[in-house]
Order: sequence, then structure tokens, then C-alpha cells
Amino acid sequence: MKRPKALILRGSATNCDIETANAFAYAGACSDLAHINEFLSGKKSVLDYDILAFPGGFSYGDDISAGKIFSVKLEKIAAGLEKFIKDKRPVIGICNGFQIMVKAGLLPQNKGRARTATLFTNDCGHFLAKWIKLKVNTKSPCIFTRGLPSEIELPMAHGEGKFITRDSKTLATILKNNLHVLTYADNPNGSMADIAGICCVCGTVFGLMPHPERNFFSWQHPDRKKVKEALAVGYQFFKNAVEYVR
Amino acid sequence: MELLLSKFSTLNHKQLAALDKKYGWSLNLLELEAAQRYFKKLKREPTRGELETIAQTWSEHCKHKTFSGPVKFRSGRKVKRYKNLFKETIVKATRRLNKQWCLSVFKDNAGVVEFGAGGKWALAFKAETHNHPCALEPYGGAETGVGGVVRDIMGVGLGAKPVLNTDIFCFGRLDSKMKLPKNALGARRIFDGVVEGVRDYGNRMGIPTAAGAVVFDDGYALNPLVFVGCAGIIPRDKIHKKVSPGELIVVIGGSTGRDGIHGATFSSANIAEDTSNSAVQIGHALNEKKALDVLLKARDKNLYSAVTDCGAGGFSSAIGELASECGAIVELEKAELKDTAIEPWEIWVSESQERMVFAVPPKNLKRLAEIADGENCGYCVLGRFTGDNKLRVTFKGESVVALDNAFLHGGIPNYEKNAVFLSPATCNLPPKKIKKPYHQVLKSILSHPNVCSRRSIVSQYDHEVQGGTVVKPFVGPGQNGPSDAAVIWPQAATGDMKDFSGFAAAHGINPAVGRINPYLMALYAADEAVRNLLCVGADITRTALLDNFCAGSPKDPQVMGGLVLAAEGCYAAAMGYGAPFISGKDSFYNQSTDAAGRQYPVPLTLLISAVAPVEDIRKSFSMNLKRPGNPIYLAGTARKGMGGSIYNELYPSGNNALSGLDIKDSFKLYKALLSAMRSGYVMAAHDISDGGFAAAAAEMAFGGDFGADLCPELCFAESGISETELLFGESPSRLLLEVDKKSESDFLSLVSSLQVAKAGYVNNRAELIIINARGKELVKEKNAGLLACWERDLL
Repeated sequence: MKRPKALILRGSATNCDIETANAFAYAGACSDLAHINEFLSGKKSVLDYDILAFPGGFSYGDDISAGKIFSVKLEKIAAGLEKFIKDKRPVIGICNGFQIMVKAGLLPQNKGRARTATLFTNDCGHFLAKWIKLKVNTKSPCIFTRGLPSEIELPMAHGEGKFITRDSKTLATILKNNLHVLTYADNPNGSMADIAGICCVCGTVFGLMPHPERNFFSWQHPDRKKVKEALAVGYQFFKNAVEYVR
Repeated sequence: MELLLSKFSTLNHKQLAALDKKYGWSLNLLELEAAQRYFKKLKREPTRGELETIAQTWSEHCKHKTFSGPVKFRSGRKVKRYKNLFKETIVKATRRLNKQWCLSVFKDNAGVVEFGAGGKWALAFKAETHNHPCALEPYGGAETGVGGVVRDIMGVGLGAKPVLNTDIFCFGRLDSKMKLPKNALGARRIFDGVVEGVRDYGNRMGIPTAAGAVVFDDGYALNPLVFVGCAGIIPRDKIHKKVSPGELIVVIGGSTGRDGIHGATFSSANIAEDTSNSAVQIGHALNEKKALDVLLKARDKNLYSAVTDCGAGGFSSAIGELASECGAIVELEKAELKDTAIEPWEIWVSESQERMVFAVPPKNLKRLAEIADGENCGYCVLGRFTGDNKLRVTFKGESVVALDNAFLHGGIPNYEKNAVFLSPATCNLPPKKIKKPYHQVLKSILSHPNVCSRRSIVSQYDHEVQGGTVVKPFVGPGQNGPSDAAVIWPQAATGDMKDFSGFAAAHGINPAVGRINPYLMALYAADEAVRNLLCVGADITRTALLDNFCAGSPKDPQVMGGLVLAAEGCYAAAMGYGAPFISGKDSFYNQSTDAAGRQYPVPLTLLISAVAPVEDIRKSFSMNLKRPGNPIYLAGTARKGMGGSIYNELYPSGNNALSGLDIKDSFKLYKALLSAMRSGYVMAAHDISDGGFAAAAAEMAFGGDFGADLCPELCFAESGISETELLFGESPSRLLLEVDKKSESDFLSLVSSLQVAKAGYVNNRAELIIINARGKELVKEKNAGLLACWERDLL
């Protein structure tokens, strides 16, 4: 069977890139870990790939605000990205990747790619890393979360994860169309409507704050007694993308 | 002063001392005289840059002259002399053990041991202190401390990928009533700043900070200790470096400024009210991450033949070290600068952060430059390595330094330090009876700052980045159980998700024991570190250790006496557990002087960090109770003595005795338990340390959803032991184990000849009950109540 090509797009101080590449490779993709500079210089093109992932980390030190600098760099390859999304090739942003996508206007989906939301400093005022329970919106069109149970556990690790929309209309559109793919069972950062992850209307563009690549195998879970199956819920996110492309 | 410098070789003692004080070199008279003799021989006067280079190279920080110097130890009438204390204790154990899996010890930026199956990888481990900077500027000091130890791992061999950060802090108590001298920072300010610094740097570097400890004690109120450790994975065939003449000196990473002038020499001095904080560097994690990305790419393309980090002493130490067996020519005007007002000698000794120095064959320069450009990482070619064993540094043609390697690296004079140790009086009367019921004592122990939850700190660290933190700081269904050790599966370094090799990292530290007996402090610390590794299922027969000593001024014979005893303890522990030391560091002058001239030294503190392989990370253990009905066993013997315990701090018992530690017996016990764990008989293991048996049992209970019914009196104990000692005593070498009911008889046959006895059972009531042999309830408390005491916020 064809191994789809997954681009793990990194910048300086993106730091969840290798485990994300490992996860896609394990799920059946051919992972390419590449720096945004190679796309800005025209050496590579996003259109040569089937799946695009923005991994977590602190791209460009999260200077100015989380994901901001990386999102500005994306403007230079906006045309390629636009086509990639229009082709319904899957795009996922995890943690810092989600912050980048929101700040680039890729999510929440809107015509002019305007910034209609942000991910702001957690209500607690600092970085917070812990395992959390998430509700999966089974009515959402998201292709990455297909087949997941209605409640899952993933670790979160961020300082700026409070999802806020520009206006109530943006939030209403998300909720009405079931674009809120994941919501926190116990809101850890003050996000509107407990939102932890959102997608576009056709379900192929998806961003989330928690880390599915860190609950990929059962032995990554803090409660070791539950270890029975080797694969954990995080695997499903990556497997779904690979199968969708095939 | 310039005048004095121009007459350096003719100065008298008083003038030399004045010059040293003025320039902040922290050189002693013997060293200054050696320098005088050298320049007399050369028939010229030194430049400022040359004396600065000597001061950096001979500093306590770079040379560890106290620990590796001669010592005369007097104990009663007996006198023992050491030519080199470090070599005759800690290094001696490593040499005698001669483990084949030790690949590089004591010579590089970190110790290196074998890792995983197949001989493809190795593990590098190192711990550093950044105490002086953290006392002056906690946030910046902690950040650059993390940055520095990460660069040590980047600079070991041809460069390792960091996969774990550790952090251990010793602070003054947050509720301290101590009156601090003018300008001293309060404990709260230091605590917050250090935690934030470790968080912001470690998280941005993408390295999980997943193991550590915090000790609160007013002995650290003016001089906090901040230990930062890092472990990295390196290809087995890249653990050695070799510089060849003709290779280029290439610097990558951050640019050079006036921050951190004299960081190395300042660590050889006590902190006074007027100490300048320009000695503290300024960190920027983004630059270090870029340097790391460039380094790993260039390493895998074999573009350089040696690398080291710019740490204390800046270029002078890094280039001096790489050139120590060949020589170098350096042109300082080629350095990337962030400050135009900088003097040439300042460029040479500046400790600006995030810089790595490579030896690059000229033909590879272009490819290295391409990689650096691709990562937006700065670089410059600063000169080249030569074969004449001379260090020549110029700025636009003008000589800044021209010194011989032989003098610079071999010319340091040393003198014998006096050491004595006067043991404090110990009392081994039975602990005083108190009115407070045991369950309330237990609750107050659980909420003691040295026992209570570290969640508010740990949750600020990204302890799971790289996706390989298999045993996390908190385990169990509600993540309420404090782990004994971290287990790391370095999939992000090996790139192989089907290789399940991992390693465990743990610590032992106990300054309260050290106050009574430094020798036992070392034994206890090593024992605790090994036991912690055992609790997660690591192969303790392959434990590698790091020693980090912190003390006051080595000019005080009592400080040196404690050091000698602790170093001897390290030797005994390493030999007993077959666990070689592979690297270490020491930090002296952790001492403050107030305006009235009063001295505040830290208590002698020894941190022992330990790593051991975990063959299959999928089979590692967590400490929370797993299944009602399972028996709970106590391994080891409870011994008399409340010395150094948390109990004694809360309720002075009048008994400050410490029990001895029979390493041979303990190690035999641990090996048997490891084989029981590997056979699948054990469900959970937890070590008994701070707070004793009762605290360990409580942690296992609230770490899971179940409680326990226990009777410690039925287990092995020294005869005549009191209830207080049984419940709250902290005698070493003990663990609690939950054994799978189905395998109980197999378990017993494995440990039949050992001191392992059933203490009770896991219950399904989420309640801890401890009774005595007559059936009287000593403790009866719901998990929730115990957890509430333990979960108090520190931040």
C-alpha cells in the first residue's frame, strides 16, 4: 500500500517534531522533518506532501506571543497552503502548532484567513503540564478523531492555551457546526466553551492544545495498571489521517 | 592599578593581594607568585588578558583545586594525608570497579556509559551547580544553570542529544524567621525565581524536566543550592574527540557581550554585600536550541572532530581546553559581538551564553555554514588550532595572550589543606513520648515542606516533551503518587519506536544526616538513590553515580573534615553497590558574610544522582497500590535512631542517633527484589525515606484508589525499637512492596533467606490503618484526608 508523505514542518525551537514524525511513521506515513526555511527559499513545496503537521514546542522562543513569528513566516507560502487545504489534504496543529494555525488565521476557518480567535495566557498565569480528561464531540466532522470513544485522556503542556474568539458569532459558528472537536472535562486554562481543539467544516484542518503523540502507546500513561493494549488513543489521530489519505 | 600591572613581577604580597582584589581574580598568593615567576622567566610583564586567562583556568570552578588537592585529615590522634582527595576516594572506586560498561569517566564534560542493546548508543550524564548566580539573581542564575549543563551534554564527545533534565534545590524555609543581612534575597523570591528560570529554559529547549527534589533548611537561606542535571543519548562511535593542528576554531550560537565577566572566579569567593551581579550571565534558550539543532545535524554528517561548550571562563576555558594538547591562534576581532564597548580581554573571558566551539577541518567549513544558515544560527571562525603548544590570542594584530600550555595547564601550585571533624554529641535514648496522636503526627509530616507534594513546581515543567517519560513525577489514576525515579524512553533521540531500551534516573540527598555524620550522609544518599532506581524496576547492578558536593569555605578545617568523611563514604558506597562514579562536581565558598562580618556557610551537602538501565520500559513499575487483597511486604530492617528525621524537626525527640548501614546486606536484598520484580511477582514498590514507614505507606495509598491495613511491628526490626521509630524513623535500606496475591508463594521462595516480612494487605476502602502487634490502632485515616495534608501548595 502507498505510504502517504507527511510533512512535519518545524522552525527554530519547535521541539515536539521528532516524536510527531515518529508517530506518523509508526501509523504508516513516510515522515519528512523539514525547516520552514526550506519552503521560504523555494527549495521545497508543501504541495509535494499528503499530510501537513505543525508540531508542538516554542517556535522562535514564543517571542511576542506563542506561535506568532512562525505564523508570520507562513504568509510567504500562503498560496501553497491554501491549495493544500482546498485539496482537503489533512492538516494538524498540536499545541504550539495549533497556536501557529490560529495566529495565521487557518483556524477558526474563515474566507479571508483573518484572525478571528487567539490562544491566550492560561488563567493560572503560567505554563501547566498535566494529564487531563477530554470530551470528544462525536458529531464533529473531524477526520482525525474518527472512531474515538466519547471521553479520552491526553497530557497538556502549555502556557498560552486559553481559546478566545474575537466575537460571539465566531464561537456560535464553531458550536453550531460541531467544529469544537475536543472540549476539556475540567477546564484547565479558561478556554471559551471549554474548547481544547477545533476543526474546519470539512474536518481536514484540525488544531488542538493537548498532545496525542504523548499518549500514543499505553505505557506513556501515568496509571500503569491500565496497560493492556500496546496502542493508546493518541495513535488513532495519526492512523486516521494516514487512512484518510489512502 | 594599571601601574601595578606594568610592574607585576616585582610586586610584594600586599600589592599582589590588592591587585587580585581589585580585578576579582580570586587567585591566592601562591598562585600569584607562580605567575610572577613565570613572567620573570619570560623577561616581560603580563597583559591583563594573560592574568585573566590564568585566573579563569586556575579557578575553583574550572580546576577543582580543593577537592583534587592535598589534605591533612586529623581525627583524634590519627592523621591521614591525601595527595589528591578526589582521586584517592571517588575516582579510586571507579578505577577499582573497572566496569566495562563505563565508556568515558571524569575526563569529558559528562560521564558516558553504555546504553541499550546492540552497542549502538551510549548515555551521558552530568550534574552541575549554579549556586552563586542563583543567590544574586535567581531567575537568570537558574536559566543559565540549565543552559550550562545542557551544553555540557551537547559538548560531551562529539555531542549528545539531551533527553532528561533534573533539578534539585536547597532553599531557606519559606516561613523562615531568620533575620537576613541587607541586600540578601528572601527565600520566597529565590524559590519563585529559580523555579521560573528552570521552567522557562528547560521548556523552551524541549527537554523534559522529570526528576528532582527540594530541600528546605534555613542553612540555605543566604546561599541557595541549585543543582541542575542533564542526561543525553549519543552514538557509541561518537564519544571521543580529537583536535588536529590546522583545524579551524568555529564558534556557533549566541554572540559575545559583557555579561558574565568573572563568573568562574566569582565562584571561588564568598558572597559579600557588595558582590556585583554583572557576574551573572543572561540566558536565551532559543539560541541554545538553534545551536543544538545545528550541532546534531553537523555531528551526523561528521563535519567536525571536536566540540566543547563555552561555560565558565568563556572562550579562554573552551578554546584553552580544546587546545591544551596542541595550541591555538585566536583572532578576537572575528568574534560575533553584542556589545561594541567590550575590551579584547573581556571578549576572551566573557561567559555570554549559548556558544559552542568546534574544531572543523577547513574543507568542511562550507557545509557547516550551510547548516547554521539553514537554522538561522550565528557562527564565526575565530582562528585555528596549531601544533606548537602555545596559546596565542590577538585583537587586530595586538597580542592579548601568549602563554605556554605547560604553564597554563600544569603550573598551578597547590597547598595542603587542614581537615578535622568534631562530631556533634549524639544521644540514643528512646524518643520522648509526645501527647499528639500518631495520625496527627503523620498528617503534620505529610504537610512538612520537605515531604509534601511538589506538584505546583513539577506541573510548570514540560516533563513529557519528547514523548518518552514513561515513569513520570506523578503516577497513578489521579496522578497523586510521587514517583521514586523517572524512567525515560529516548525515542526522540534514537528515532526507533520498536527499541524499548530506557533508563531510570534518581537522587539521594540528606543534609540533615550530614550535620550529624558526613560519612553516613554519603552512604544514605547512595543507598536512597539505588533504592529509588530499584522501585521503578531499573537494573541496579549497573548503576552509575554522580557526586555533587557543596560546602562553605575550604579554608575552614571543619568544612574540609566533613568533606573528607563524605568522600570516604562515597568510596565505600560505590564499592558496596558496585556503582562507579562517572562524573562529579564540587562547589565551595557557599558562604555569606554580613556587614558585621558574621559568616553563614551552608551545611555540607552531597547530592548523589544515579542512572541505571531499564531493559524494557514497558515493564517499569509505579509506586501506587494496584489491587485490593494483595499482600504488602516490608523489605529491610527498621533500626533505632531518629537522627536527621523529619519527625525530629517537628517534635524534637531527644534522640539524634543514626543507624549504620550494612551495604552488603542491603545490596543482596535489592538484587533479590529486582529478580522478584522481573519475574512479575511485584505490583508496586516504594522506598521508605522522609517521614518513615507511615509516610511511605500513605503515599502508596493515596497514589492509587486503595488503602492498606498494616502492622509494621510484625516485620524485621532491631530489638527494643520504639513505636515512634517504627512509624516515623528513617533508617535506610527499607522498601514497601505490593506483591501479586497469585505469586505470593513464588515471591516468598525468592526472598526466604532475606529480611522481608508481610506488613499487611491492600484494602478497597481507600483508608490507611496501622496497628501494633496487640491490635491497637495507631493510625486510621482516609486517603482523602492524608492527600489533603500532602497536597499543600508551595508556590
